[in-house]
Amino acid sequence: METLRQLLVGREISELSRVTHLLDEPEQLAVAVGGVLPGAAARASHAQLGEALAPAVERAVQRSIQKSPRTLTDILYPVFLPAIRKSIGEKIDQTFQSLNETLRHIFTWHGLKWRFESWRTGASFSEVVLKHSLIYRVEHVFLINRNSGLLIAHVTADNATSEDPKLISSMLSAIQDFVKDSFNEKEQSGLDTIRFGDLRLWSEVGPFATLVAVIRGNPPEELHEIIRDVLLRIHDECSQALEQFDGDSSQLAGVETQLQTCVELKQEESNQGFPWLVLAAVLLVSIPAGGWFFLSWQSGQRWQAYVSRLETQPGIIVAEQKIRGGQFYIAGLRDPLAVDPQSLLSGMQVDPARVHSQWQFYQSLEPEFVLKRLTASLVPPDTVRLSIVNDRIVAEGEATATWINRAWAAAQQLSAGGPVFDISRVRDVSPEEREAERWQAYVSRLETQPGIIVAEQKVRGGQFYIAGLRDPLAADPQSLLSGTQLDPARVHSQWQFYQSLEPKFVLKRLTASLYPPDTVRLSIVNDRIVAEGEAPDTWIDRARAAARQLSAGGPEFDISKVRDVSPEARAAEHWQYYVSRLEAQSGIIVAQQTARGGHFYISGLRDPLAADPQALLSGTEVDPARVHSQWQFYQSLDPKFVVKRLTASLTPPKSVQLSIIQGRIVVAGEAPAAWINRAQAAAQELSQDGVAMDVSQLRELDLAELNQLRQAIQTTDIFFSSGKVVPGPEQMPVLDRLADQIKEFAQSARKSGVTARFMLTGHSDATGRETANASISAARAETVRALLNKRGVAPELLLVRGAGTFEPVVPENSRTGSSTNRRVSVTVNLD
Amino acid sequence: MLQKKICMLGGFSVGKTSLVRRFVQSIFSETYLTTVGVKIDKKSVALPDKTVDLILWDLAGEDDIGSFRVSHVRGATGLVLVVDGTRAATLAAALTLRERVEAEFGAMPFVLLFNKSDLADRWVIPDSEIDELRQLGWQIYLTSALSGEHVDDAFRQLASMVAK
Repeated sequence: METLRQLLVGREISELSRVTHLLDEPEQLAVAVGGVLPGAAARASHAQLGEALAPAVERAVQRSIQKSPRTLTDILYPVFLPAIRKSIGEKIDQTFQSLNETLRHIFTWHGLKWRFESWRTGASFSEVVLKHSLIYRVEHVFLINRNSGLLIAHVTADNATSEDPKLISSMLSAIQDFVKDSFNEKEQSGLDTIRFGDLRLWSEVGPFATLVAVIRGNPPEELHEIIRDVLLRIHDECSQALEQFDGDSSQLAGVETQLQTCVELKQEESNQGFPWLVLAAVLLVSIPAGGWFFLSWQSGQRWQAYVSRLETQPGIIVAEQKIRGGQFYIAGLRDPLAVDPQSLLSGMQVDPARVHSQWQFYQSLEPEFVLKRLTASLVPPDTVRLSIVNDRIVAEGEATATWINRAWAAAQQLSAGGPVFDISRVRDVSPEEREAERWQAYVSRLETQPGIIVAEQKVRGGQFYIAGLRDPLAADPQSLLSGTQLDPARVHSQWQFYQSLEPKFVLKRLTASLYPPDTVRLSIVNDRIVAEGEAPDTWIDRARAAARQLSAGGPEFDISKVRDVSPEARAAEHWQYYVSRLEAQSGIIVAQQTARGGHFYISGLRDPLAADPQALLSGTEVDPARVHSQWQFYQSLDPKFVVKRLTASLTPPKSVQLSIIQGRIVVAGEAPAAWINRAQAAAQELSQDGVAMDVSQLRELDLAELNQLRQAIQTTDIFFSSGKVVPGPEQMPVLDRLADQIKEFAQSARKSGVTARFMLTGHSDATGRETANASISAARAETVRALLNKRGVAPELLLVRGAGTFEPVVPENSRTGSSTNRRVSVTVNLD
Repeated sequence: MLQKKICMLGGFSVGKTSLVRRFVQSIFSETYLTTVGVKIDKKSVALPDKTVDLILWDLAGEDDIGSFRVSHVRGATGLVLVVDGTRAATLAAALTLRERVEAEFGAMPFVLLFNKSDLADRWVIPDSEIDELRQLGWQIYLTSALSGEHVDDAFRQLASMVAK
C-alpha cells in the first residue's frame, strides 16, 4: 500500500512537503513573497491598495519623523524651498510697495486727507495710502492648460477687448517656453510678471493649469495671493478634468464663475462728490466778516505805527492819543522847526480825514533845533561848518571878522539852559588875504611848468597881472587856473610865444615835423636827442637836415644810430650775407653772383662732399624762389676733402691715422707693406695736383717675429695613411703645436691691425680614381679644420680647399712619394 | 468647443508659413518666428458632427535638427510635416523631426505635405517613393501654397484624425 502510494502520488507528496516546509519557514516565505510583492502591488486595484496601505504609510511617516525629522525635511526640501522663497519675495515686494507709496504721499494734500481718514477708520496710514494710490482693474483672466498651452477658459471684464484668446493663450505659453529655453531656467514656476506700460500680465502656475491675469494700472502685491487662491480652488474642484484636458473645455464650464471673481477685482478712485454748496455758503458768510475784522485790526496797527513814529521825532512831544468810533485823536507840543506831523501821515496808510490833531508850539532846546535856529539867524559863510559834537554846537573853518563878532553875540545869548556854542575854531580871514594866498600858489605852479617863464607878476586893486614867455607846446596857463578858486576875470596875462630849447620840447617838435617811421625810436639820453633803428635813406636825409638846423644853441640830435635800409638795400644785404657765407664754406667756390630785378643769380663750383648751398639759404631771409644757382661739381683739393676721399678709397688700417697739419696731409702709423705702397702711389698722384701728402711717417708693420712664426706654420704638414681622412695618433702632437702657432699668429696679427687667414689645402696620392682623390683631399682638409677648431682655433680664420693630386710635394714615383703626398699643408694670408 | 494643438514641422524654407498664410486665422506677425521661434495661428475645421479649432504652432524652420526646440511640441495632438518637393533633403529632415518628436512624446497622428506642387518642372521626389510612403498608411498630400491645392483637404483630414 505504502509502495503503491509512493508509486501513485510520490512526486506530489514530496512537492507538498516542500511547499509546507516553505510556508513553515518564515525566512523562506519572506524570500518567496518578496519576489512577487512588487508585481502583486502593481496588479492590485489602486483604490483598494491605497485604502489598505494608507494607515500603514501614515504610521510609517509619523514614526520616521519622530525618529529623525531630518530625513523627511531633506526629502521635502526641494518642494518647499521654491514656494517659501516665492512667498517671502512677495511679502518683501508688498512691504516695499507700501513704503514707496507712503513716502510718495506723505507730504501732499492727499496725504493729509488720508491721514484724517486713517484716524477716522482706525486703519494704518500705509493701508489707506495703498487703497487710494493703487488704482487697477483686472481686465482679462486666462486659464491655460499647462501641457499644451490650449485655452481652458477666458473671462473678460466689461469694456475690455483683446484678440482671439485661444491664440493669445498659446502664444503666452510659447513665450514661457522661449524664456525658459533661452536662459536655461530650470525652475518649474514660469514667467511671473510681464509688464508693458500700464498693462501687466501676472501668471500663477498650478500643477495642470496656469492662470494669467491681465491687469491695467498699479495692482497691490496682495493681488498675487488672491489670484493664487482662485487657481488653487479651481485645482481643488476640477483636478481630474484639468489633468485629463484634451482640448474639450465643455467639461470645465464651471471654472468661468471662479475666474469671474478675479475679473471683478478692481480699485477705483473714489468719486464722492465734494460738498461744493456747503463750502460756497460758508465762504459767503465768512469772507465779509473776516474782511471787516482784518481791516479794523489793520487800521489800528497803522495808527499805532504812526504814533510811535511821531514820538521818536525830535521836537515833537505826544501828550495824548486815542481811537474812538473809527476816529483818531492826538494832542501834544511841537517845535516849529520839527517835522510837520501832517506830512508824516503820508505813506502810513492812515486816512488824514479821520485824524484830529492839536499841537502847541514851543522852542525845543535840543542841540539839533538850536543848530537849525543858529544856521537860520547867523547865515554862516560857505567856509564855516556848524556841527554837533557831544551835545555842543561847534563852528569850524574860516570867516571874516564881522561874522565872528555876530556869532560871538549869539553864543552869549544861548548860554541860558541851551547847549554850548563853541566858535573858538573859526579862523579870522578877510577875503583879500585869502585871494592873495591863492594867487601866489598859482604863480609858483606856473613857474615850475617846463616851457613857461614868468617874467613879472603883481596884485593891484583886487586885480592880478602876470607876464612872461611860453612855448606853444607847454601847458596852457589859463587851464591851470581852474581849481585855484581865482576869478579868471580878474587875472590879466601877457604871454610871448618862444621856442623852448629844452630837449623835451625839441623832441616833441621833431616828432611832429619828421614823422619818424615805426622802425625808428627817438629818445632823450643825457640831454641829447638820439634816434635809433632803421629807416629808408630819404628819411635819414630829412633827419640830417633837421639836425643841422637845430645845432644853434639847442640840444644835439644824434641820428648816427639809424641804419639806412631801403627794402632793396635790405634784400641786397641779406644776399651779400648769404654769398659771404657760401664763400666761407670749404669745397664751394663762388665764381659769379649778381642781383638783378629783385632776383639773385649765383654760379660756381662745389665739391659733392661740401655743404648744400640750398640748405645754407635757410635763416638768411633770402627768398629761395628768387635765387637761381648753377653749381658745377668738382673735386676740391682742400685737404679736408682729400682726406675724406682718401679714407673712402684707401681704407687705411686701424693702426694708421690721417691728419691735416698746416695744410699738409700727414699719414702716420704702422701698416702692411702692400698698403704703404698704395698710400705712396696716392701721394704721388696728389702731388701732381699740388696737394702735399706726407707718407714718410708710415712704418712697415714689424713682422719679423711673425714671419718666423709664419714660416714655422707653413712648413708644417699633417700626414695621413693611405685612403684615410683622419690623421693617425702620431700626428696629434703636430696638430697641437700647429694650433698653438696659428692662435699666436692670429693674435699678433690682430694687434697690428691686420687679419690673418689660414688656408688648409688637402692633398692625396695618385693611387685610385681622380674624383675619389679630389674628395679625399678636401675631406682631409675639413678634418684638420675640425681638429684645429677643437683645439681652440676660430673656424672663421680657417679656409679649406682640396687640391687632389695636382700639387704633389714630391714626385709620386719617388721612394717616399705616396706617403709624403698624403697630407694637409697650411699657407698664411694677411689682409 | 474643441481645440487641438498641432505642430507644423519641416526644414528651412519648405513653405510652412506660406502654406498657412492664406488658410488660417492669425494675429501674430511673422517676425515672431525669428524672435520667439514660433508663431501661432488658428484653423477652424468644420467636421460633420463638430467644429475643431486647430491651434497651429508654426515652428521656425531649422535645417540643423539639433537646435530644434522640441519643448514647443509638448501637449500637441497632431503634426503637419511639410516637405519641399523640389528639394529631396527636406523629406529626410521632416522624417527626422517626426522621429525626434515621437521619441520624446510618443506617436501622434500626422499628415505629410509635399509642398510646391506647382513647380512640376523642378520636382525631384519620385512618385514611387510617395507611393511607398502611402503603403505605410500615411496621409500624404501634394500641396501648393500658390494655388491652395489640397491644403484644406489636409487640414480636414488631420482634424478628423485628432478629433477621434
